[in-house]
Amino acid sequence: MVSVINTVDTSHEDMIHDAQMDYYGTRLATCSSDRSVKIFDVRNGGQILIADLRGHEGPVWQVAWAHPMYGNILASCSYDRKVIIWKEENGTWEKTHEHMGHDSSVNSVCWAPHDYGLILACGSSDGAISLLTYTGLGQWEVKKISNAHTIGCNAVSWAPAVVPGSLIDQPSGQKPSYIKKFASGGCDNLIKLWKEEEDGQWKEEQKLEAHSDWVRDVAWAPSIGLPTSTIASCSQDGRVFIWTCDDASGNTWSPKLLHKFNDVVWHVSWSITANILAVSGGDNKVTLWKESVDGQWVCISDVNKGQGSVSTSITEGQQNEQ
Amino acid sequence: MEELDGEPTVTLIPGVNSQKKQMCFDWGPGEMLVCETSFSKKEKSEMVPGCPYIHIIRKDIDVYCKILRKLFNESHGIFVGLQRIEEELTGKSRKAQLVRVSKNYRSVIRACMEEMHQLATGPLLLHLLDWVRLHVCEVDSLSADVLGSENPSKHKDFWKLVTVLVLQGRLDEARQMLSKEADASPSSAGMCRVLGDLMRTMPVLSPGNTQTLTELELKWQHWHEECERHLQDGTFASSPHLEALCKIMLGDEAALLEEKELLSNWYHFLVTRLLYSHPTVKPMDLHRYAQSSLDVFLGGESNTEPLDNILLAAFEFDIHQVIKECSTALSNWWFVAHLTDLLDHCKLLQSHNLYFGSNMREFLLLEYASGLFAHHSLWQLGVDYFDYCPELGRVSLELHIERIPLSTEQKALKVLRVCEQRQMTEQVRSICKILAMKAVRNNRLGSALSWSIRAKDAAFATLVSDRFLRDYCERGCFSDLDLIDNLGPAMMLSDRLTFLGKYREFHRLYGEKRFVDAAALLLSLMTSQIAPRSFWMTLLTDALPLLEQKQVIFSAEQTYELMRCLEDLTSGRLVHGEPDAQQLQDDDIETTKVEMLRIGLARNLARSIIKEGSLEGS
Repeated sequence: MVSVINTVDTSHEDMIHDAQMDYYGTRLATCSSDRSVKIFDVRNGGQILIADLRGHEGPVWQVAWAHPMYGNILASCSYDRKVIIWKEENGTWEKTHEHMGHDSSVNSVCWAPHDYGLILACGSSDGAISLLTYTGLGQWEVKKISNAHTIGCNAVSWAPAVVPGSLIDQPSGQKPSYIKKFASGGCDNLIKLWKEEEDGQWKEEQKLEAHSDWVRDVAWAPSIGLPTSTIASCSQDGRVFIWTCDDASGNTWSPKLLHKFNDVVWHVSWSITANILAVSGGDNKVTLWKESVDGQWVCISDVNKGQGSVSTSITEGQQNEQ
Repeated sequence: MEELDGEPTVTLIPGVNSQKKQMCFDWGPGEMLVCETSFSKKEKSEMVPGCPYIHIIRKDIDVYCKILRKLFNESHGIFVGLQRIEEELTGKSRKAQLVRVSKNYRSVIRACMEEMHQLATGPLLLHLLDWVRLHVCEVDSLSADVLGSENPSKHKDFWKLVTVLVLQGRLDEARQMLSKEADASPSSAGMCRVLGDLMRTMPVLSPGNTQTLTELELKWQHWHEECERHLQDGTFASSPHLEALCKIMLGDEAALLEEKELLSNWYHFLVTRLLYSHPTVKPMDLHRYAQSSLDVFLGGESNTEPLDNILLAAFEFDIHQVIKECSTALSNWWFVAHLTDLLDHCKLLQSHNLYFGSNMREFLLLEYASGLFAHHSLWQLGVDYFDYCPELGRVSLELHIERIPLSTEQKALKVLRVCEQRQMTEQVRSICKILAMKAVRNNRLGSALSWSIRAKDAAFATLVSDRFLRDYCERGCFSDLDLIDNLGPAMMLSDRLTFLGKYREFHRLYGEKRFVDAAALLLSLMTSQIAPRSFWMTLLTDALPLLEQKQVIFSAEQTYELMRCLEDLTSGRLVHGEPDAQQLQDDDIETTKVEMLRIGLARNLARSIIKEGSLEGS
């Protein structure tokens, strides 16, 4: 039984494009075509507007919270080709960095696992992916992968950090060496896996081909301690694939079709323990999927937008579960 | 759980009807966000304003019901106790223990139901025990009512009470009621006595009874016939109440159905029916009687409810079906998780292999425990449940525990203790780092330092130590002296931290006027390379007062060392490019300091040489 426990009135003046909970589920960030990014405190079923951030000059497509150990940091990306990083300093939210290295709309931002440091990946319609690394004292280092996807890159998603075996033996003060990887999806119908080489450059490690139209979203599943890696991808072609890789070398990825929808599938996302995949499609629904015992993916719930007359008040009677 | 027999549940989110809009969403740690959006990105804004609402949705909101919290807490204790039985007992004593666990669960449920019953409002979340509420709790209060009145047998509900007691097979209590009626109304005393005798003599199979089933059957047949005879003879003809009771005791279906309201549901009807017509029913026949009871009672009026399906499955001893039905019908995982766990311990469950958890028990426990983590204090119960899930319990705990908001220091400490007890070093490090960073941002350096020590995070300890040292340079004193003074072996965590500790020790020695020791320590800080280069000037400046003491503190050897350090330092400082005004001013100060040091060192050298060269002791 699924129930609405809170409804936040964002007062955005235009379409909302993204909403993200912070790490603890206490704060909510939203962004909209009205060019603003808003932050709400949603503890205990309440909604208090904490910040109304202006700075973008076009619709804002996505927001992403950084890991709390770095403080309260939020990234946003927009049609205006900018990526802005906002930070809460002494109780107020301010712009702490602006990245203008793209020639076209920036569609997706994703923070790397906190173990790697403070690193942000950004995917843009100019086909490039840029990686911003915080190096201290307000400085951000930029690495750019040009032509990552022809026509444009729509989504980026980091692989979970794998603890290297030698972590315990590291001399004190030294940072352990992780193998950093992330996945990207683009208008070339491909999903690409990228790996950071020892010299700090990013190299394309794998190409995953199965979609017949633009890849709209990719989501790398959190690690649950099994040796397999799992990625979900969705596309304009209405398909959602689950890619799994079993071997330790990470070379063979096999796709399994989750479902073929009747319309574009825009967004996929894993729950924090990776046992449920949520899929949002053009059919006005969010569906939840789980893997069953025989390896088939089963839809366990439909979350549907309400049909009926325009209404701004939510009463008990309108919440309806079958 | 392999196939879904029905369509997945559709949850409608109240919102604006539209053709072109979709729903975007995000996972929170325990919930989901949904809102209306349009994914096809258009640059121009739409003429029609979108829906500005974001809905936060969650399943298992029952976790937040206050009454259930008590249930969760108490059942948690029983659960943990059950897991530990495994290790200790075998055979008969084990079986007895398992039965006791079941009874404990039942009594906890009953206590919860009683509390719920007292609340007139609120949904009944555990429908399965509806009859406990109605037939135990309600009867008790009815009984108290009637017996408490002046003339119990004249109470308006008297016969209702007696009937209910008979329906529930509580014949001793029914007999006591009848004796009150006999006392109050002599005319019916004879009849009451007869009926009372019948009640007393009804053969029952009780534990400790050595008779066989066949013997019991025989006895019961005789008793049944005796009741029938009384009915035929019209013994109770003048009291419709007593006659009705006799018919019930004969298992007369029509008489039972007369009392539909008191029975209130088909499974009570089933039990009463079996009690008075087939007392020796065999388990394998149960489901037949169950099905027919359901049909007769409902009379084809209403459809079966999910609860009915659960019970029918239970009467067929189809455990998997029971679990399946429960999972779909009930609103949270509490019942089905505990039930499955108990059944597993009784070895009644053949496991299926599921991807999430190696067997069904673990799958259900994981679901239940995950739900608990959404609650600000019940998460602590969830920890134990994860502990007893051997396959995915640990990793699930790791993922969930990091997401607990660390709103207070006590909460943070609780969470850390849980992680430390389980050697979850990554989580400890991550949580301590978050707290350390927060402390640094709020300028609580002592707190930051202790968190980084607890996290065994050398890099961060270095960072905080640097801040301490910088603070000292700016303000001339240390904060959080207590902490630094009592670092102990933790000092070894990072070089910078060691330096901080030792440097503070130097100041202490100086304060205690143990100048020689202080001097030796100061020198060693530089020569052992523990002190960062950037700090050497400060150290040398600290040496000045020691150089200017009346007595000679630094030996000649030590003075040479100091001089070497100074030259080392100054030779490394070359000015690059054009110095600006500030730099010149700084340079000025530097130069003065260096000069003062050189003079001081030279003087000390002279004095120490003389002292060491002369013949006196000391």
